[in-house]
Amino acid sequence: MAKIDGTAAPRPTPNRVVPVLAAVALVLVWLLDLGTIQPNRIVPGTGHGLVSAVGWPGAGLVSLVLIASLAVSILPLAWRYWALLVLAGLSLALLPLLLEVFAARHLPPDSPYARSSVGAGFWCLLFLLSLMLIEILGRLKAGRGVQLLVMVVIGGSWLVLLRGAGLESLSLVREFNAQPDKFAQALRAHLALAFGAVAVSAGLAVMLALKMMRSPAWQRPILGAVSFMQTIPSLAVFGLLIAPLSALSSAFPVLQELGVRGIGWAPALLALIAYSLLPMVRNTFVALTEVPESLADAGRGMGMSERQLFFQLKVPLALPVIIEGVRITTIQAIGLTAVAALIGAGGFGGFIFQGLGQSAMDLVLLGALPTIALALVADALFTLLAASLRPVPATA
Amino acid sequence: MIELKQVTRRFGNVVAVDAIDLTIETGEVCVLVGSSGCGKSTTLRMINRLLPHSAGDILVDGKSITTMNPQQLRLNMGYVIQGTGLFPHWTVARNIAMVPRLLKWPQARIDERVRELMTLLDLDPATHADKYPQQLSGGQAQRVGVARALAADPNILLMDEPFGALDAITRDNLQLEMLRIQQQVRKTTVFVTHDIDEALKLATRIAVMDRGRIVQHDTPENILRRPASEFVENLVGRQDRGLKLMSLRPVRELMTPHASPKRSDPGADALKEDDSVRLALSVMLWQDLKQLAVFNARGEETGVITRERIMQDGL
Repeated sequence: MAKIDGTAAPRPTPNRVVPVLAAVALVLVWLLDLGTIQPNRIVPGTGHGLVSAVGWPGAGLVSLVLIASLAVSILPLAWRYWALLVLAGLSLALLPLLLEVFAARHLPPDSPYARSSVGAGFWCLLFLLSLMLIEILGRLKAGRGVQLLVMVVIGGSWLVLLRGAGLESLSLVREFNAQPDKFAQALRAHLALAFGAVAVSAGLAVMLALKMMRSPAWQRPILGAVSFMQTIPSLAVFGLLIAPLSALSSAFPVLQELGVRGIGWAPALLALIAYSLLPMVRNTFVALTEVPESLADAGRGMGMSERQLFFQLKVPLALPVIIEGVRITTIQAIGLTAVAALIGAGGFGGFIFQGLGQSAMDLVLLGALPTIALALVADALFTLLAASLRPVPATA
Repeated sequence: MIELKQVTRRFGNVVAVDAIDLTIETGEVCVLVGSSGCGKSTTLRMINRLLPHSAGDILVDGKSITTMNPQQLRLNMGYVIQGTGLFPHWTVARNIAMVPRLLKWPQARIDERVRELMTLLDLDPATHADKYPQQLSGGQAQRVGVARALAADPNILLMDEPFGALDAITRDNLQLEMLRIQQQVRKTTVFVTHDIDEALKLATRIAVMDRGRIVQHDTPENILRRPASEFVENLVGRQDRGLKLMSLRPVRELMTPHASPKRSDPGADALKEDDSVRLALSVMLWQDLKQLAVFNARGEETGVITRERIMQDGL
């Protein structure tokens, strides 16, 4: 693909995005603290700038990489995006090494409670490098294979480095190591709640969309109802469901045995389903009704039954838009599930609220970062799925 | 054979088709022509029961269509619409195979039939079979539309302004193509158009419709020579009729044949026996000639046509 890029335009135009990102990263990484050292969990730490954190060789290397990206992106070279991909990809993959060097240089020996944490400079570097990578992949028009490979390499490298001994002092790792079982449990609860809600609401949405297609009189009431549910603040829904569910479960012992109570997973699931309905119903309905009537007319005129029209024409054409609805809903549900921890539903929200209560920001991050990661992974997976299911190829 | 007996269609209080009688013989091309809203499309869509008729009866080969299963009825009627209606997520081959698949033909027979039809419609199976409709030009897509309609070899072909959205040159080509195919397959065809020239060119008989009624049902020649009302007269063009009539007549009818065909080089623009008298006259006027040689399909000169003869007997 780079070849096409190079040969089609004899003098490739200089890229404007990558140099700006690299320059901003260069400035921020020198201005902001790369990391902090805390004597224990609660006491605020002391910040270290780039040079202080990783020494002149480290600072030089970071600056060199950023300056090199800046330079390469401006030069009119055919292969520059592949060079940038290697540069940005490797930097991202090896980024935790900066923290490792930082911890090795500054962590006082024999103080078991001391911990290093990630500073604003590091976060900025991570964010800007990621943006650069996205821009580069876009310019390369990289296929799904390349994108997946880059993601696996970077993700794998981070996992290996974070599990290694060098980063044991990192506050996030400390928090994780303190309660690995709780983390696994939170992950399971979070996934079960979010995907359970998405699955149930997908089923409901299909039924409601079909009902709306068959009887147009139902369109306004149904869309009105699901839109209304979306407008209630999420915390209020969680709270409002406590009373009726408590009453129900005390009236019917069967429900109690199933674990349905005023707090816990039951109200959380109900609320999540209520929130998921709007994007799901709207996308499914719009996708199915926007199949051109002329196509249905042609199919019908050729002798297709309504059933055949539905499964052979409408569903295949509507599927990418429906999956787009599932994608939006999933991301939204993963985020909302974090809030559901307030009513005892479990999930990563538990760490967040616990951390807020103890003003331990690292514990908050232990809940927030996996939530973000889950949402990103779900987004990527559904995008891939929608792209591979797209029934209509690009026009000639 | 298709018979419409006192067929009426009402939308609410509006009468779209008003008690029409129409008989379409087997193998003939009946063109319904009229301005928009005259009920021609409605009439067509009642024949395959996409619209139910409000009163009267429609018979196909003597059997009332209301007694038949609508899907079975439609599977035996090819249907071509304006803008093709090809399924965008299916390849050309899959689109053409639609009805044979609905009829559960074996795959080998379907593949064979698709190749046959693509060849008939001048589409190269090797290059076009795996393309998607939106990768085709308008003309190619409508050829696929016609191939799809012919796929299961139905007895009846219903065409609803099939060439309406095409440019003039493509439309002209497809009309000629249709005449050629009709010579081979002889389908009972009902063709809807608002273009009187298209109607004159393709029809064996034309039904002129106006405000839900058939105002005249006759051969193209009679429609031109003896329009039944002022409406028809205006539709075919009062002043233009002379040339239109000439365009219905092949050169063969007016030429002076040679005793035996002569060998000579016809050239690309040579006049052929099947060309219209109108074309012959046009060439003579343009090149300022008194007469023109006429060639047959094998490129042999079979006769001459003179300007004098056209002036005498052209109409």
